[in-house]
Amino acid sequence: MTLGAWLALFVTLVVTAELVRALRHRALRQERWRRFFRHRTTTWGLGILVFLVLVAVAAPLIAPFDPNKQLDIVHLKNHSPSWTFLLGTDVLSRDVWTRTVYGARLSLGIGALGALVAVALGTFVGAVAGYYQRWIDAVLMRGVDVGLALPRIFILLMAVALWDGLPFAALIIVIGLTSWFGTSRLVRAEVLSLRQRDFVVAARALGAGSARVIFRHVLPNAAAPIIVSAALGVGNVLLLEASLSFLGIGVKPPDPTWGNMIADNAPSIYTAPWSTLFPGLAISLVVLSLNAVADGVRDALDPREEAA
Amino acid sequence: MLSAMQRRSFPSLTVFLILGVAGLAACERRGGCTGANCGTIIDAAVAEPGTLLPPSSEDIVANDIGEQLFLKLADVGMSENTLGDEDFQPLLAQKWEWDGPLTLVFHLDPRARWHDGQPVTAADVEFTFNAYNDSVVASPYRPKLHRIASVTQRDSLTAVFRFREQYPEMFYDAVYHMRILPAHKLRPVPRDQWRTAPFGREPVGDGPYRFVRWQPAQSIELVADSTFFLGRPAIRRLIWRFTPNLQVAVQQVIADQADVREQLVTPENVERVRAAKQLAVYTYRGNVYTFLSFNQRAPDDTTKPHPIFADREVRRALAMAVDRASMLKSALGDLAKVPPGPMSALLWIWDPDIRQLPYDTAQANRVLNARGWRDHDGDGVRDKDGQPLAFHILFPTTSVLRRQYALLLQEQFRAIGVRAEIDAVEGAVVNQRVGTGKYDTAILSRANDPSPSSGIAQSWTRAGFGGSNFGRYYNAEFERLVDRAVTATTRDRARPTWRAAMETLNADAPGIFLYALDNYAAVHKRVDNVQFRPDSWAALLRTWRIPPDKLIDRDRVER
Amino acid sequence: MTGAAWLLRRLVASVAIVFAVVTFVFILIHVAPGRPCPENVDRAVCDELTRQFGLDKSLPEQYVRYLVALAHGNMGNSYANGRPVGTAIAGTIPFTLQLAGAALVLDFLLGLGLGIYQAVRVNRLPDVVLGNVTLFIYSLPTFWLALLLLLVFGEKLRWFPVGGASDPILCPVVNSLYCVVDRLWHTVLPAATLGLVGAAGTARFQRAAMLEVARQDYVRTARAKGLPERRVVLRHQLRNALLTFVTRFGLAFPFLLTGAVLIETIFAWPGMGRLAFDAILLRDYPVVTGTALIASVVVVAGNLLTDILLGLADPRLRVRATTDVEAVTA
Repeated sequence: MTLGAWLALFVTLVVTAELVRALRHRALRQERWRRFFRHRTTTWGLGILVFLVLVAVAAPLIAPFDPNKQLDIVHLKNHSPSWTFLLGTDVLSRDVWTRTVYGARLSLGIGALGALVAVALGTFVGAVAGYYQRWIDAVLMRGVDVGLALPRIFILLMAVALWDGLPFAALIIVIGLTSWFGTSRLVRAEVLSLRQRDFVVAARALGAGSARVIFRHVLPNAAAPIIVSAALGVGNVLLLEASLSFLGIGVKPPDPTWGNMIADNAPSIYTAPWSTLFPGLAISLVVLSLNAVADGVRDALDPREEAA
Repeated sequence: MLSAMQRRSFPSLTVFLILGVAGLAACERRGGCTGANCGTIIDAAVAEPGTLLPPSSEDIVANDIGEQLFLKLADVGMSENTLGDEDFQPLLAQKWEWDGPLTLVFHLDPRARWHDGQPVTAADVEFTFNAYNDSVVASPYRPKLHRIASVTQRDSLTAVFRFREQYPEMFYDAVYHMRILPAHKLRPVPRDQWRTAPFGREPVGDGPYRFVRWQPAQSIELVADSTFFLGRPAIRRLIWRFTPNLQVAVQQVIADQADVREQLVTPENVERVRAAKQLAVYTYRGNVYTFLSFNQRAPDDTTKPHPIFADREVRRALAMAVDRASMLKSALGDLAKVPPGPMSALLWIWDPDIRQLPYDTAQANRVLNARGWRDHDGDGVRDKDGQPLAFHILFPTTSVLRRQYALLLQEQFRAIGVRAEIDAVEGAVVNQRVGTGKYDTAILSRANDPSPSSGIAQSWTRAGFGGSNFGRYYNAEFERLVDRAVTATTRDRARPTWRAAMETLNADAPGIFLYALDNYAAVHKRVDNVQFRPDSWAALLRTWRIPPDKLIDRDRVER
Repeated sequence: MTGAAWLLRRLVASVAIVFAVVTFVFILIHVAPGRPCPENVDRAVCDELTRQFGLDKSLPEQYVRYLVALAHGNMGNSYANGRPVGTAIAGTIPFTLQLAGAALVLDFLLGLGLGIYQAVRVNRLPDVVLGNVTLFIYSLPTFWLALLLLLVFGEKLRWFPVGGASDPILCPVVNSLYCVVDRLWHTVLPAATLGLVGAAGTARFQRAAMLEVARQDYVRTARAKGLPERRVVLRHQLRNALLTFVTRFGLAFPFLLTGAVLIETIFAWPGMGRLAFDAILLRDYPVVTGTALIASVVVVAGNLLTDILLGLADPRLRVRATTDVEAVTA
């Protein structure tokens, strides 16, 4: 780690703390934010997420080395953590700290994209099924059953094995396309219960079109399960990406993602544990933080606690 | 919910049950075998074979098991000398003689029997040759037999081989490549169905071990044939256990749940095995070399030259840009050597003084510049006429080592402005792609026969087009030298010619020869008389022994 | 609607789902580019094989032939080694069910227990600690956990075998009580890997479900009536929470059947996941469609059973279960 990198890291931490504090100030004035920050874990979770995003953005400043550069394949292979190599080096003598930091970009991006596709599709299908009911509902939900009957890894493997040279972005979209089923059920349940509520009935009586009713009245109130789905979805996609990398189908080397770092260094897991430990911890941190934040969101948007 | 009384007796009931089951389990340890012919050896294997029928399989594990089930007419000795016939051990053939310069006559051992009781006859030998030679069976060994014109039976115990030409390794070709098959069992099977025939999953052989069972995806078990005519094997039971992950397979041996792991591959594994108290490490010359193959034809059309690799100077530059010694040190430490050409340490032509291209990035840069590959658009990658100097490196997902090398190569190429992309696909798909020429470069491994004659010709001459010469390398001078070397009558005479041939090939850089593994094997210390013949480690399994005073639980099991 | 009519409707729907799954897989695998020939088979021989297996016919025709063969109970033969697909799959089913069953038992016992305990001690220290521990385990990549368990319990402590499904010497087939125990002993580590991660998810879900139920009126009423806390918890919350758990049960099946590839690879477990995985990569079409068929039948049957149990337990729930969280991934 160079002095500049340490400085940049310090600055990032400070900025994170300031941002979180600014958000907490809102809690003083708004009820929802107060409920959001009720548990301390939510604050921590938010802080960690903000920090990781900032780290990903500021990667070139925080990371002292080139993520793909093999520094010295003979002498610096599997070097244990030290002041120069904060998290050690991996089997190809690349700096683990640098790769973890740059890996945040790809990993968070993959997680976000996959979860976005999944949630968008799931919300759409669930809303349509819950709103229109009857045969549309039946058909869509049967489709969901079919989707749930086939495991994701199976479909993903088939996609990769049968189409040579499938770009990884396409694979993420396929991950999203196979992950929306649970979300759709959740959203459908919410929509089903919401559609009987007064404000929906009123809107329809006033002649609002179905789409308008769904988008402007129903969905915003169904936000809680959607957001929670998204948060959990990111974590799931990250873990899935790690598994795919272990099976040999993941982001193409040499670009680092947390998942393929774990997979690449699995053979050295007993002799050089740091090269798999830190990317694994990073994934865990993201999942933990997302869950904490999701809990906070759920509390904040909980209709039972909203003033009637 | 449970009443208070039930809740109280719950724990004691559970404890009683566990103890009871454990007691029963302990009682089952049947252990009756004593003496010199007990012994079980479990091999921690990785890849499960598809079929055990010899002509249909080039699989390493299938070959190891085939060594125990099926006999060859004769086999090479530990000296690995393939010239003439003095250093060969009789197996199925008791004796042989030459009936003229092109005719070899084998006399079969009358004691030889198939495991179903039938005697082994010359009809089996004739049938075997015809099957190996049949294009419908499509045996990968077929090209190695092309110098044998015919095999006929003179009587039930005499087989006659007729050759097309005279050359020093006639005997080797006659005996090494074929395992003799039972005609009476295989004649009814249509030739185009041999690869999927049930016989391949339940083979009947004539070797020192007979087949017991194949649990799919789990294990293959063989038992010693006590009536084997060349001597009863001392180890009674052989089991190959399949564990897809190499690391876990090594772990099995370390945890004393397996006895043998014939290839440890990585320095970490060797280190861990050395630390295990019950294991001994054996080294033997490796017979495999691994290289990066350049495809000299265009991937989409084999009649057209490759836009990058058809140029000899470019290939040479790429070969010079790569620091093979450092990559080897990093990935394999002391466990392998940099090959001086397309050969493993097993081949007698191995000579570190053979002239090779040096590691010289400055020269590589100069040559690439001279050939017009410069970075015209400033993106860090050289290009020429709009075509970037970029290509794919293909290798199978299962090989951790080749993956590591691919990444090392990628980085070394990046340093001279060449962009390499990694393509890891399943092994069968790799074979398919290289077989049809649909690749740029690929990291491939070749196993050597004890003699360079068949293998080198197969992989690096025109005879290998459409076969093993995937990159379609051709050099008339090289082929001339190889022809001369193959027909030389003694090794001393052949040596300089082979050297010249290898130097010619190295200068053309049809590939980059990356590493030749020395084999490090882990074997349980209780096993005695462990001999590894480098060309086939399992060939001498039947001579291994476990002394009666060293028997452990799994040796004593009677079934 | 009456029980019989409902049951019939669900049965028909189940069959339709299986049908749809198989069709989908069939189309997917045949539409993809690439030759079906395994290994480095000669082009001429491959063409011959193609003709032999009828792969040069049009897609609809192949589909019809497949369905007809299926109706006769014939799932075809593997392209890779000629074994009948039915035999190959049948060989893996006992192992898959064994692993899935053991993992689900662990999932159920541990997850339910943890979830209930957490709900009873809600927001106090044990709840918070356990909550974070379960979340942490839930966020681990399963293969990492697998390698760790193998190292500690297999290699170092030698309490459990390092991979494999049975003792190859004593018990290649299960023919005694000892062999049954041996099989169970081999199941522990792989089931623990799957089960721990599953239990973590279940515990979280169960806790949330129970807290949800706790707010409902009838529980408040029971509490207001002055019934002891324990009885309130155990009787009312448990029963309803159990129902939602059973629903979640069904969601775990597809993963355990063919998604547990990583676990099966690391532990050398001869299950359906590995069979399907190898077949996909080798483009062994009959095996792929066969496993998809069997897997979806088992899953759909499981779901049907779950729905029946739910319907019997609480007639109000005789519609689709509506609150679910996504199944745990590999």
